[in-house]
Amino acid sequence: MHRKLLVAGFAAAALVLAGCSSDSSESSSEETAVAEETTEEQVEESEGGEEAAASVTTDDSDCAAPENYCIGLVTDTGKVDDKSFNQAAWEGTLQAAEKVGGFAKFIETTDPKDYANNIAQFAQANYDTIVTVGFLMAEASIAAAAEYPDIDFIGVDQFQGETIPNLTGLVFNEDRAGYAAGYLAGLMTQTGKIGAVLGTDTVPPVKLFGEGYKVGAQAANPAVDVTLVYHEPNNAFTDPEWGAAESRKQLDQGADVIFAAGGLTGNGGLIEIAKDSGAGTSVFCIGVDVDQYFTVPQAAPCLLTSAEKKLREGTEELVLLSYDGAFPGGNFFGPTGLAPFHDTEAAVPADVQAALAEVLTGLQDGTIDTGGLALLDN
Amino acid sequence: MEKSTPLVLTGLAVTVGLRTGLFNIGAQGQLLVGAIGAAWAGYNFQMPTLIHIPFAIVFGMLCGAAWASIAGALRAYRSVSEVITTIMLNAVAIALVDYLASQPLKEADQPLTRTPEIAETAALPDIGIVPSGFVIALFVSLFFGWFLARTTQGFRFNTVGMNPSAANYAGIGVKKTIFLAMAVSGALAGMGGAVETLGITGRFEPSFNAGLGFDGITIALLARANPIATIPAALLVGTLRSGAASLQFRTGIEPEVVDVILALTLLFVAAPIVGRLLFRNRATKQTTVSSGWGNS
Repeated sequence: MHRKLLVAGFAAAALVLAGCSSDSSESSSEETAVAEETTEEQVEESEGGEEAAASVTTDDSDCAAPENYCIGLVTDTGKVDDKSFNQAAWEGTLQAAEKVGGFAKFIETTDPKDYANNIAQFAQANYDTIVTVGFLMAEASIAAAAEYPDIDFIGVDQFQGETIPNLTGLVFNEDRAGYAAGYLAGLMTQTGKIGAVLGTDTVPPVKLFGEGYKVGAQAANPAVDVTLVYHEPNNAFTDPEWGAAESRKQLDQGADVIFAAGGLTGNGGLIEIAKDSGAGTSVFCIGVDVDQYFTVPQAAPCLLTSAEKKLREGTEELVLLSYDGAFPGGNFFGPTGLAPFHDTEAAVPADVQAALAEVLTGLQDGTIDTGGLALLDN
Repeated sequence: MEKSTPLVLTGLAVTVGLRTGLFNIGAQGQLLVGAIGAAWAGYNFQMPTLIHIPFAIVFGMLCGAAWASIAGALRAYRSVSEVITTIMLNAVAIALVDYLASQPLKEADQPLTRTPEIAETAALPDIGIVPSGFVIALFVSLFFGWFLARTTQGFRFNTVGMNPSAANYAGIGVKKTIFLAMAVSGALAGMGGAVETLGITGRFEPSFNAGLGFDGITIALLARANPIATIPAALLVGTLRSGAASLQFRTGIEPEVVDVILALTLLFVAAPIVGRLLFRNRATKQTTVSSGWGNS
């Protein structure tokens, strides 16, 4: 027994020591790398910052070299194949890396206390651009941007109150996605009544989704009757029972298209609507943020589309801007749109699809005015 | 070491239970309750550092102890298996702290479910590179090494753990001892939560403390219920956990491999016990069969 203990103790001690020694060597190599970087930066500046687009970076052994471009991504607690924010951001990052011949790598956070450490892994390896996913990481991103002023940080879904030059929050015009969803709902409704079950209106993106939806629906069908219900601010996004109950209520009152936006609260609504006997033929639901056909498969029978924030495209665009040295800082508005119809495609008439496509282009090029941030005053 | 600190304490919590013949699966729940208690004590009061830190830690311990006492009382006076009650109380604790962090104790004017940040006077400082919480954990485990081996109360815990009937016959209040051991166990887990909150996270957020209590079970078993041995065991688990991100960064191996390694370690640690059960006859000739985890 005692011998076993001793062995276990040694093993543990050896592991700890190994950890320490690698740490110290890491920090010393980091110092030298930082020194290299500063000299190289000066060289780069004197050359006028020309991009060596032809070179392809295949690993991160020398990210500090100006010809090498490295992008790191730190996930929110989740995997890069979560079919949601993490995956979309990672795919965007990969696409951008491919375009510029850069090298991309991710770390999947398992413990929310590790956000800073995981960002530091990339920063200490002199990565050029670091993507952090999800608003839970907002504080860690701000701290990291201050600590590593030479690295560009992309905060996916992180609204920036103050402008930090090397940190750009990827945010979205939710009102446009909501408008498109509302327009579709307005065209699809048979009863002339549509509804929306939403998280709290004290969170601006949610209110923009909701009010945009209303404006869009009225643009498609001026006679339509739109009911918006917002959850009270407390646990607004974690109340699926409420979402289900409110959806049921709206269905009973004759609404036949319902937009559910508000995390788990909205998902509860989607799942409830999918259970309705008319799901997919006379009753439809619309999801939010990402293509919820994948994130909430139970909703597939009624899911018409999702009012989507195009994270993949937005992330890609920002990475490219960072690569070009035109990193904007502050907030960057990514594209929005609607997800594919999937199972309900047959239920959407061709003329509705055509009209919707027109509206989507109109929203994108700005010829359609949703009312923008003024909707928040409604 | 940052990661190991709460693990030493939750490991100890499970250890004290095991020595008294109790399998405390509820360290996670007790830790959560202790963590939110310490967070509340940390932000709600203004007092000098020297009083504030002990106050917040002790408050967290009391919360953890109170939580474990529910299971302790049920076990001692109603013979309800503590394995069942502590598991169930984990679920209750998760819901409770979620409610507390999202309603009465929530930080105002922001959407996240979390408490306000603790006052500076309650924050545990680092001593050089060593978090002072680790030093505390070290002393606590040394104390319990001494307590269980050298004091009357410790002897009572052990005796009840080895054979409750004999303990009863010898005049030890078995029920009282079980209740007390459970409370001590909960206090240690609560202390783990308190130290984590005051030393590292600075506030309570429900997702911050995931798995710490469950790792405590691994550690206690790995340490064969020896309080001193929880230190290297916790260091092992903590090092593996904190290395997970580097592992993925450098080699691309999924961080979950750490869970696999820990599970395998536990399996091998348990192998002798399983072996003894399987080959009981041969084993009894060579060694004495023990009734508790800690007495081999």
